[in-house]
Amino acid sequence: MTMTGNGLTTALRRLRRAGVVSLTSLALGITLAAAPVADVEAKNTFVFANSSAYDTMDPHAVFDVGRVAYRINLYDGLMRWEDNPPVLNLWLAESFDITEDGLTYTFKLRKGAKFHDGSEIEAADVVYSIERMLALKKGAAALFIGTVASGSTKALDKYTVEFNLSKPSAIFMATVPEIHVLNADLMKQHVNNDDWGSAWLSTNDAGSGSFKLKRYDPAKGFLAERFADHFMGWGDKYLDEIEFRTVVEINSRVLGLMKGDFHGSDGYMPQDQIIRLRKSDNVNVEEQESMRIFYSIIHNGRSPMNDINFRKALSYAFDYDGFINNILSGSVARNPGPLPNNIWGAPKDLAGYTYDLDKAKEYLAKVKEPIREITIGALAGYGQTEQAAALLQNGLTKIGIKSKIVAEPWPVASGKMRDEQQMYDLLFLWKSTYYADPNNWVGEMYDGASIGARNNSWYKNPEVDTLLHEAQTTTDTALRERNYAKAATMVANDAAGIFIYNTKWFGPIDKRAKGFRFCPIGNGQEMRWVYFE
Amino acid sequence: METASFLIRKLAEDRVALLGALLISLLVLTAIFAPFLATHPADIAEFHPVERLQGPATAHFFGTDRMGSDIYSRILFGARITITIAVIAIGVSVLIGVPIGLIAGYYHGWFSDMLMRTSDIFLAVPQIVLAIAIAQTLGPSIENVILALSATYWPFWTRLVYAETRSLQNEVFIEASIALGAPPWRVMLLHILPNIMSSIIVRTTIGMGGTILTAAALGFLGLGAPAPSPEWGRMISESREFLPEAWWYATAPGLAIFMVVMGFNLLGDGLRDILDPRIRRSRAHDSK
Repeated sequence: MTMTGNGLTTALRRLRRAGVVSLTSLALGITLAAAPVADVEAKNTFVFANSSAYDTMDPHAVFDVGRVAYRINLYDGLMRWEDNPPVLNLWLAESFDITEDGLTYTFKLRKGAKFHDGSEIEAADVVYSIERMLALKKGAAALFIGTVASGSTKALDKYTVEFNLSKPSAIFMATVPEIHVLNADLMKQHVNNDDWGSAWLSTNDAGSGSFKLKRYDPAKGFLAERFADHFMGWGDKYLDEIEFRTVVEINSRVLGLMKGDFHGSDGYMPQDQIIRLRKSDNVNVEEQESMRIFYSIIHNGRSPMNDINFRKALSYAFDYDGFINNILSGSVARNPGPLPNNIWGAPKDLAGYTYDLDKAKEYLAKVKEPIREITIGALAGYGQTEQAAALLQNGLTKIGIKSKIVAEPWPVASGKMRDEQQMYDLLFLWKSTYYADPNNWVGEMYDGASIGARNNSWYKNPEVDTLLHEAQTTTDTALRERNYAKAATMVANDAAGIFIYNTKWFGPIDKRAKGFRFCPIGNGQEMRWVYFE
Repeated sequence: METASFLIRKLAEDRVALLGALLISLLVLTAIFAPFLATHPADIAEFHPVERLQGPATAHFFGTDRMGSDIYSRILFGARITITIAVIAIGVSVLIGVPIGLIAGYYHGWFSDMLMRTSDIFLAVPQIVLAIAIAQTLGPSIENVILALSATYWPFWTRLVYAETRSLQNEVFIEASIALGAPPWRVMLLHILPNIMSSIIVRTTIGMGGTILTAAALGFLGLGAPAPSPEWGRMISESREFLPEAWWYATAPGLAIFMVVMGFNLLGDGLRDILDPRIRRSRAHDSK
């Protein structure tokens, strides 16, 4: 094939034009890339700098605080926890009914509530969602396995869903908000090899939440736009878009907030940074009492920690005052037991332990088993856990216990926590609020029935178990309160862990953002109430 | 003996290299006499939360860190960790890399090719990435950092020794000793090795600086010695949370790393000028 001179020129011209076009589009691309800054102002975008990455958009896949934003903003449940102290409100459900025996829960759905694709939310979608959770056994599923049997939930009619528990559960209602309702019809189009649409949902949106997923990049975070048809309606003022961006470095978060690039960020920054933020003209630091206790797990199942005297020696060897008042500048409150001071059921007269090396030595002398080197675990990247570990090591050295610190990332540590052999002797970490009920703490952490799963201390005390199981299966609130208080006191007296403080939440928020409502569940990341002035 | 005195004489003439040597001697002395030089030697494992994040003053030359420990004292003790890591990692790399290079260079054949391709595979992966992978898999500790560095550094010596051996092989004195019936080990150890020693020394000196930098990087990423070890990279990593207010926290270990790495690089450059005749000649030519 030959090309005539004319044809060649045409081809060249075409090529040149293509070049011009691509150059223009490149220039456009640059302007577009620069545009979001202007867009932010014009479209009312709230940019939240999140300390950990969003590796999935599947609301049933994870159940932690670092990635709560997409669950709470893109999805809805039948009920929802709001405000502080947390109140359980009707959400997708219009009303509910519980039978006398505490086994059957019937929820009436709001009529006309819509998913993001415009289809109506029906009882069948709720049934699909709980079945999906039970089948995948991930995230919040652990709360329901054992209480809700697969196949037991029924859609009585289009708007009525009935849960049939296999045993009475006092915490079922408190955990209902974790059943995030998925669009069943949409999900069924994306199933691949019985994966319940997991591959598709990990990067897509099948919800009904206040915001609708617009863009998601695991490396950057996600952007979502307001869902105008949301069943809870909207006031006069609202945000058009929300962006949750992953910003791992704390200094970048703080500088971004001070410059006004970010409008919110996590509320548990070191006090030194809070002081810096308070000086900025752009930022308000909102202070709220939260429910997030900091403590050290002690492996009660392993020698010498299986000896109560050794555990007491550990508890007396931690410098609580130095940690709370000096290292954290008094920004948190001492919390002597496994229940946050501000939840009902927390024992009022619990004295707890103090930094007292003489007492520590006294208890250490009573230990019969040989003392060996202790491994103290900390979470890499969470400076506080390392500082606490170092401070404990300091105290242990003074009473003659050798120790070594191992700092590992959260995914590694959380894996080891489930294995009796791999678990560290001690591990410093937080226990956040997943549902506002004492069971979230003492009931999850020290129940002998969930050893290895949620009881990572290998602590087993039949008396505590009896109290907890009674509290978990009765609806008598007074009895529950008494039982949890007793159980918490016994756990503290057994020195099953080193209980240190309850967090205050210091949320940095842009001064122009109003309407903010903090709730310990969701850590103040629900954005539907927020607007810019 | 003669070469040593020649070296010292030449070094004394080269002021920049002398500065390098001085910095390194300072590091070694610091490491040895840390307990005597430190103002708060107990602060390696003892903390005083009340005194945390205080600026440089007479009580604390370089200020205090997040646990209230004296940064000056911790830096002195950190020198020990730095030297231990660098010396062992480089030592192991030389012990692995040099024999492999000699054997691969001396013999011709599939075995020699296999050795060189293996070292190429190691060289193909960016060193820090491989070191991170190894240290992360084995868990954070000084031993594993040393292991990771040794495992990734040896091919540099292999390649150097291989090339030098190949070029020496055609020299008359090597051919002569082979003709006289010397066994291969004798040729390699007594005839080739002494003649390529200078290149190895230069590579080792410069390699020290690189190793210290990589070790600090691993420490910074939390893969080195666990808290509260006074490892320099880890100290910088810890200080990030407190910047820019506690500027001294990152500055002191940063300067320490900077000076030591510069020391090794300057000395390495100086040694190369002296020991590598080709470069020396070109320099002499330039100055005319």
